[in-house]
Amino acid sequence: MIEVRNLTKRYGPRSAVENVSFRVRPGEIVGFLGPNGAGKSTTLRMLTGFLAPSAGEIRISGIDMLEQPIEARKRIGYMPEACPLYPEMRVVEYLRYRAELKGVSSRDMAKRVDTALAQASVTEVASRIIGQLSKGTKQRVGLADALVADPPLLVLDEPTAGLDPNQIRQVRELIRGFEGQKTVLLSTHILSEVEATCERLVIINKGRIIREGTPDELRQATLTKERWFVVRSKALRADLESALRSVAGVRGFDDERSDVEDGITRLVVRAADEPDIAERIFEGVAKAGLTLRELAPAKGASLEDVFTVLTKGEATAAPAESEDESEDESEDESEDESEDESEDESEDESEDESEDESADESEDESEDESEDESEDESEDDSEKGPKS
Amino acid sequence: MKPAWTIAKREITSFFVSPLAYIVLTTWLLWQGGTFWVMSFWFSQQDLSAGASGANPLSHYFGGTTLFYIPLLVYTPLLTMRLLAEEHRQGTIEPLLTAPVSEVNVVLGKYLAAMTFWAAMWVPTLMFVWLTSRFGDVDLWKVAATYVGLMGLGGYYMSLGLLMSALSKSQIVAAVLTFLVLGALFILGLLQFLFPDDGVREVFEYMSIWAHMNAFSGGIVDSRYLVYDLSLAALGVFLSIRVLESRRYES
Repeated sequence: MIEVRNLTKRYGPRSAVENVSFRVRPGEIVGFLGPNGAGKSTTLRMLTGFLAPSAGEIRISGIDMLEQPIEARKRIGYMPEACPLYPEMRVVEYLRYRAELKGVSSRDMAKRVDTALAQASVTEVASRIIGQLSKGTKQRVGLADALVADPPLLVLDEPTAGLDPNQIRQVRELIRGFEGQKTVLLSTHILSEVEATCERLVIINKGRIIREGTPDELRQATLTKERWFVVRSKALRADLESALRSVAGVRGFDDERSDVEDGITRLVVRAADEPDIAERIFEGVAKAGLTLRELAPAKGASLEDVFTVLTKGEATAAPAESEDESEDESEDESEDESEDESEDESEDESEDESEDESADESEDESEDESEDESEDESEDDSEKGPKS
Repeated sequence: MKPAWTIAKREITSFFVSPLAYIVLTTWLLWQGGTFWVMSFWFSQQDLSAGASGANPLSHYFGGTTLFYIPLLVYTPLLTMRLLAEEHRQGTIEPLLTAPVSEVNVVLGKYLAAMTFWAAMWVPTLMFVWLTSRFGDVDLWKVAATYVGLMGLGGYYMSLGLLMSALSKSQIVAAVLTFLVLGALFILGLLQFLFPDDGVREVFEYMSIWAHMNAFSGGIVDSRYLVYDLSLAALGVFLSIRVLESRRYES
């Protein structure tokens, strides 16, 4: 359905997308995953013919996008990022306009518009003016637009951004409902989204494809050398964390799944897969004068972690983690490094550029991230201060 | 060509639901009404025996004084600034250009819409023709020629405005650029009054919208002016298409 070969987009000397190749088979639902500024939107814009690539080839159902753009675009329902709409139009007017533009005949018009309204669940706002709608509703109007000409291929750029949890579930169900009927390529930086909707995913970082496969394949390929534990203790989180950090083999924590409840800290720990790692954790906690309440193997290697490892340097957890290790354990550091190299070479090559790039492409977000990171680091430092 | 018509329809509807349309049309009509009143008043003061046979309030109103040209330079940018600049600012250019529609259709649709705005501005002036006809003789051939001239003029004014709107991502910039370009062309045309020499004078006269409108409002449908209008209109539309195409190679 989609065939992309050696796609490259350069802006002056900087390339936003570099030598990207992938295929999407008919009926597949594929997630296009990457951190902000990785080149997802640029790639999708080239796929849909909005941007011309600097080099490479795009085929939609075998039709060359560069040679027969109109024919190729007829087969695509595209929802751009941020979903731009005309604020002065009514929803139903807009959809009729879009349907007409996409060549829906006047005979099918009413039926197609009604179906699209219903599929994107915006029937009840059909006669409202777009400018007055909430961001989430606008997003769904954009989805209705992508669906209105009933194209065989949907390209959705961050389809659930700005939606509330209920709407996100609705959109995911809608997308899953297309399985086998339509081909869907959706981009996202939210991992749970991919796990919930996609059969296959393509991970892109810094303009290059770094992995491709089903979620299970990716888990196995990247994180086999690690084990996960749930550690619970009646202690302050900072104390427990510093106690665990001093244990050889502990590599970090999963902040998403860690919490503090009724004075009991629950940490999900990422550790090297060594035979006596559980004992070492037990000893480490005891040595720090804390009592364990629970030490159990956790279901590890969520896609979150795969993503973190693959796109290291931009994900939030990674930098703080590697810093800690370099301070605590020289052994671990070297281990980690070798692991990185084997997993992903392109990442190391272009690590220096990463900051500039993300600053260019998504200023707000990268600022936020860097703030978070610096906060994390300073917190960590203060935690360690009294101990050492 | 059907997509062009679809795009034009949307553009026209959007313009006429916007407050801008009503501010533009109201102030335009006030200005034109004032101008027409000044012309009628001036002619009513003239001694009939002294009056030249060709001059009448209508031919004077349509291009006899700067009162006619100044608003053209101001209102043309207001009509054309939105066309493509607004699509870029709002980002709606992305769904538009990823629909199965060629740049040619997009630009022609926008141009068609602009010409509709232009025509809509002139329809109310037919009222002046009617008023004049009640108090004197109106040569309908001259009136028809005048409106042909107006459409020719609009043809290239709208086309240059469209081009400026294609070049800029903000309406304000588009409006200012249009004003400057049309103003420069207007002044270039005025140079006809500076050169007594026939050859040079003729060139500037050819470019002058003043000479242009005087010919048409005098009942002369001069094909040289129509050729000039249509050439500039075609050039503006063609360049707009190229600008839009080249956008695909940028960010």
